[in-house]
Amino acid sequence: MNNLKLFKRQSINELSTFYSFLIGFVIAIFIGSIILLVQDKNPIDTFSLMLRLSVGSINSLSSSLNKAIPLILAGLGISIMNSVKLWNIGAEGQIFLGAIAVNYLYINTQFNSPTLHIFVLLIAGFVGGSLCILIPAITKVVFGVNEIITTLLTNYIVFGITIFLINGPWKDPKSLNFPAAAYVGEEVFLPTIFGKLSFGFLICILFTALAHYLKNKSVFGFEMRIAGGSALTAVYAGINARQKAFIAMLIGGGFAGLAGAIELLSQTHRVSTGISQGFGYTAIIVAAITGMRPLGIFLVGCLFGALSIGGSVIQTIGVSAYISDIIQASTLFGALIIQFFFTYQIKKVEND
Amino acid sequence: MIDIQLIGLFNATLQAATLLFIAALGELITEKSGILNLGVEGMISVGAVTGFMTAVNTENIFLAVLVGVLSSSAFASIHALVTVVLKQDQTVSGLILTILGLALSSLLGKNYVGKKLVTKLEGVTSVTDPSSILEVLISQNIIFYLAVLLMFITSFVLKHTMFGRRLEAVGEDSRSSDSMGLKVAKTQFIATCVGGAFAGLSGVYLTLSYVPYWTDNMTSGRGWIALALVIFGGWKPYRTALGALLFGFLEALVPRLQTYGFELSPYIVKITPYVITILVLVILTIYKGGKTGAPKNIGVPFFRENR
Repeated sequence: MNNLKLFKRQSINELSTFYSFLIGFVIAIFIGSIILLVQDKNPIDTFSLMLRLSVGSINSLSSSLNKAIPLILAGLGISIMNSVKLWNIGAEGQIFLGAIAVNYLYINTQFNSPTLHIFVLLIAGFVGGSLCILIPAITKVVFGVNEIITTLLTNYIVFGITIFLINGPWKDPKSLNFPAAAYVGEEVFLPTIFGKLSFGFLICILFTALAHYLKNKSVFGFEMRIAGGSALTAVYAGINARQKAFIAMLIGGGFAGLAGAIELLSQTHRVSTGISQGFGYTAIIVAAITGMRPLGIFLVGCLFGALSIGGSVIQTIGVSAYISDIIQASTLFGALIIQFFFTYQIKKVEND
Repeated sequence: MIDIQLIGLFNATLQAATLLFIAALGELITEKSGILNLGVEGMISVGAVTGFMTAVNTENIFLAVLVGVLSSSAFASIHALVTVVLKQDQTVSGLILTILGLALSSLLGKNYVGKKLVTKLEGVTSVTDPSSILEVLISQNIIFYLAVLLMFITSFVLKHTMFGRRLEAVGEDSRSSDSMGLKVAKTQFIATCVGGAFAGLSGVYLTLSYVPYWTDNMTSGRGWIALALVIFGGWKPYRTALGALLFGFLEALVPRLQTYGFELSPYIVKITPYVITILVLVILTIYKGGKTGAPKNIGVPFFRENR
């Protein structure tokens, strides 16, 4: 009798993550096409319109890359935390608290030099993100509470605080019925590089390199991997696993907080619910799909940024913007399915 | 004579608890088999929207419940396929299931925002304005009694039936279970789909009775609280029910605090359930010192090494 059996492959193709992503993306476009067809929309027309409106001109391309900034920074934060085998589901909240910290500092301090002012505000964003993950970090390393649930719940808490602030203490009387804080002054707006592309994109490149170095080249990255890998090895190597986890969490939160600062200083210019449109959740997909590799996160972040812009502009022709969310999530599911075939081999074996 | 406000509080507690409990019970069954499904939020949402759409279009409430439950279960089978059959990371798959579920239900429900239900899930008796504890208990809608029934059934099945014992064996030690001839993948697949069905039931309760209307992201984190409830309940149905009552009570109490003379910003009031969930998890972890009662194999994909 013949039987199908599963074998783990001896070696896995180095580029397997990349191929899985590509095929996953094709699968996702296929799924997206079906959804469009069901809604009586021509998929080819819709996708080419999305392409044209997301990368077709300097203006649209720079909007897409601006959209990529929070996805990349939050994704990098998630990938750093993953070095110690921890999940950060709280990037959405960290983005908001980053922006809140920036606004708090902006209201309460004065600087003569705008450059220094912006620099300090960006640091405030990073610190705000770290503060946001402080409680999940403490409860994780001290008591061992599951960080997935605590980081997720902080999203709801921070969002509630944001709503409270923009309806109460920070409410701008000039914004009338739309709850939002007052605009920050033009002197602290982040400059643009070309088109609408924000200076934040350069920060993004810098932090991608930083995350790559931190994870793969530095002693700390090596220690993080050991701490996350095996508790026993960490003890033998004299590595304080809890301390590494704690620091990794604060850095991870800080990256997302910085994204919030950049959104505030370059896009919304005020604290409102629009600071993040689910960037923290999309960042999870971006990080997971690249196997937590910083350079991959940068590239996929740019692609998904374009996809989000494409999704929001096709709303004008009556297509739901959720189509881009669905394509992003389906890409990862597709990639997971393909990854299986890179990891395992199905062979026919004869039963005895 | 009992305060009419207390009666209302009790009623609201039961309703909020039902919603959380059914989803948590489903996740408990899934996790017992060693599969962690973080997609509860997405599954509830899918069940909620498909049930609501069916109810609006057919005005057949029974069909609506059925469609909600089945579609959510089918949706959960994506997680089963990816994690059980293809042995991929359960955390990643579950998270994406939530993201996909929320996006998919927003897409499906786009034209149903603001629509009114002609028929919704009514109480089983004609009491509409309960004025005693007893009247509250007999005036709930069918899903409340179903939830109570499911609690007894699940507890019985887990403890006293072959399926339940198999489930537990697979979740505790899939390798030994496999060498004893148990079908690990099949058991885990079924457990995941059952978990999805329960989440779907919780979803239809949300849109056909609890709220009842459809709007984007209306699950507002309840799926995550349900996940916390499983930990709270130590993977035991009765204790999970107790936890659901506690959280249901808090959800019902907080908006009523003002009537008892507490001055609180409504925005701050809204975040208290999430703060309390974190607090409870911390207290629980300190109290139990690591012995949470979690299935030993949870999150570990099973692969039979071939020699």
